[in-house]
Amino acid sequence: MSLPTLLQAGVLACAVYLCMVYVAYFALMVVGFAESRRRKRELRGADPDVIDSRFAPPVSILVPAHNEETTLPDAVRSLLALDYPEHEVIVVDDGSTDRTLERMREEFGLVPVAMPSRGIVATQRIEGHFRSSAEPRLVVIAKASGGKADALNAALNHCRHRYVCGVDADMVFARDALSTTMPAFMRNPGSVVGLTSFFETSANPAASLLAGVSYRIPDLRPLILFQVLDYLRAFFNNRLAWSRYGFMLCAAGAFQVWRRDLVDELRGWSPAFTCEDIEFTFRAHRFLRERGSPYRILSLPVRVGVTEGPDDMRKLVAQRERWQRVIVETWWANRKMCFNRRYGSVGLLGMPYYLLSEIVAPVFEVLAVATLAVGAAAGLVDWNVFLLVLLLISLVNSVLSAGALLMADLESPAYRLAGVVRLLALMPLELLVYRPFMSWARIKGTWRFLRGDKGWHKYERNVHADPA
Amino acid sequence: MDGRTAAAFACVGVGVVFLLICGSLLGRRLRLERRRRREPLQLPPVLEVHRAPWAELEEWRDGLAIARELEEMAERGDPGAQAPLREELWSGDPVVRQAAVAALGRLAERHDWAIDGLVEALAEHRDAPASVAAQLDRLAPRVGIRLAPLLRHPSDVVRFYAVRLLRPYGDIARDLVPELTGDTSPNVRAAALETLASAPSGTVLRRALDLLDDPHPLVRAQACRTAGAVSARAAAPFVVALLADASWWVREAAREALVAAGRSAADVVLPVLGAPDPDARLGAALVLQDVGIVDDLVADGGDPRLLASIFAAGGKGMRTAATERAHRGLRLGRPTLVAEAGRR
Repeated sequence: MSLPTLLQAGVLACAVYLCMVYVAYFALMVVGFAESRRRKRELRGADPDVIDSRFAPPVSILVPAHNEETTLPDAVRSLLALDYPEHEVIVVDDGSTDRTLERMREEFGLVPVAMPSRGIVATQRIEGHFRSSAEPRLVVIAKASGGKADALNAALNHCRHRYVCGVDADMVFARDALSTTMPAFMRNPGSVVGLTSFFETSANPAASLLAGVSYRIPDLRPLILFQVLDYLRAFFNNRLAWSRYGFMLCAAGAFQVWRRDLVDELRGWSPAFTCEDIEFTFRAHRFLRERGSPYRILSLPVRVGVTEGPDDMRKLVAQRERWQRVIVETWWANRKMCFNRRYGSVGLLGMPYYLLSEIVAPVFEVLAVATLAVGAAAGLVDWNVFLLVLLLISLVNSVLSAGALLMADLESPAYRLAGVVRLLALMPLELLVYRPFMSWARIKGTWRFLRGDKGWHKYERNVHADPA
Repeated sequence: MDGRTAAAFACVGVGVVFLLICGSLLGRRLRLERRRRREPLQLPPVLEVHRAPWAELEEWRDGLAIARELEEMAERGDPGAQAPLREELWSGDPVVRQAAVAALGRLAERHDWAIDGLVEALAEHRDAPASVAAQLDRLAPRVGIRLAPLLRHPSDVVRFYAVRLLRPYGDIARDLVPELTGDTSPNVRAAALETLASAPSGTVLRRALDLLDDPHPLVRAQACRTAGAVSARAAAPFVVALLADASWWVREAAREALVAAGRSAADVVLPVLGAPDPDARLGAALVLQDVGIVDDLVADGGDPRLLASIFAAGGKGMRTAATERAHRGLRLGRPTLVAEAGRR
């Protein structure tokens, strides 16, 4: 086979792949838009008094923390300040080597006590329990390091309420985070078993939330704004549509609410995987589909808080590399669901979508770069067409991003004009200045999965001044 | 058309779509900024701020708008609005039903017919009865006896909510709720016990103690809580047996009821330290810790054999925690601890 024929085949494969991916993206965006409108209407008819009443279901908030001395006190304060009738906060210090536990002792007046455990899941050794003498709703557990899933399981063993909400220790929450999301359970207590909701990203979450009554984007650095666009697309273009068709396959670890009986039945989160959130969601779908119970796992368009995003490219690539590894690992462990009618929309839509958009993406990214490099070296590239195609892809991505931003804005006008203008201006540049790094992270993540790497490689936290 | 021209056309087309979305976003944003500048002190409610241009048109077709209109008519005292608004409770659209419940809740602050509508809605529960219950709860003490017929409703869901709603009505609860402690549904039995905890009497304590042997753990746990709330000291000798219950939730409820009895629980709890069941021994040790007896023994160097048996039952964690508290001068079961921590 001649070189031009090979190159043509490469270009054709990439083009077909791109067409399939973008058709899927646009279809999801349209469905996401319809779902967003439906949720908004539901909100218009909602009864605000229910959530202030004693009929609102109590929630246990589980906060796994490992070396989070800079972010944890803010996160816990924001959780204790939530406007919700009844909730408890269980923090698990998962073998931190920094001053995480000391900071918690200083901030919340912790008193060591012995506490009973439900013993639902075996975990690493528990080193101590603490109650806050200032805040009776707060419990802190210190344990030997076992990873995030193990820490969540330790918290699960101690929680008392009917719903559990797993959160990240680097997240700062809006006061209405529970009161705006829990009504989804109250409307359908029998069928809704889990949910996640949209959250923002910022280099300094506490400052973002303290900035004013509404969220802003106080940090206008392009790297942060590109991550904001990522989150907007992930929640508004994808998860809303997944949620509508019953294949919401990732309840994000930063904010995941589950019915406790389901988590108990599934024996908690699995420490055998690099990351717990996507694996647990897949497992919940698989379990409930196999049992044949009607259920729903939702993603809501409501902003629940701000999580910390990496503030330099090295950290960001490390984070995204890990995400890719987690996705491939989880998909592979549940591959039997793919194209399997028994698993309904999860098997026929969700799993193939992940396969197309996440699992095989690195293969085509490598193929595209290789084809371009060989073609350029052989003088076979029509640079005008190449640049036009690049521009086209960039504009298509921009439409997808702008659609997500529009949906977020229709949900609640969170960003100031300056933020909106900057986000719009960055959209066409994303393909050239941001995506190459993300592609590199995906290739790295897939490679690490193939090598069997299961390490967490948590990125080092951003350094920021105390917002107080 | 060659590839280059096709790509160029596609770029122009997609570019126009992008610019349209940008224009729509920026237009909305500018309108909002202008409105904010004009009314700086009155931020409009979030849901109103970003209403899409076509939303007004949609509302005319939307049952929500009709519900809102009917609510306004009823608020103005138009009797013609009452029946249609109550009919909205049976709408095929759950969002409209929800809106009708909220509207009736608001109207019920001034109109008794709206309370009757809500009671009727609870009796005919379609979905989310918690929402109707929340409205009725908010209206206490005006609902009271209207709930009585619901206590005999064939649906256990309705009986459950009706009995819980009677919590603020002590006299009615004392008269009508004890009967429901013998209900066929464990949820209703537990709810009845919960309501009775706020209407304490000798009869209530007896009922609660009777239900400590209920076959359902949910009821046994609630019986412990109710007995603890009504008279923790009197209940302690009976509740202590449930430290060995098969259900973790019941053991916890028993432990909490014993802690509520304070140091007086020690007499009934100490013998349990020698019980064959490790869960019962652990529960007893935890009670002694929480009421402050462990800290007293550590600080005052009291009976070392007793302390050893408590630590043997409570595990290594209990000894370590007690030692650390003693080292830091903290004691459990003392009100001063909270005050000290507050100052920190």
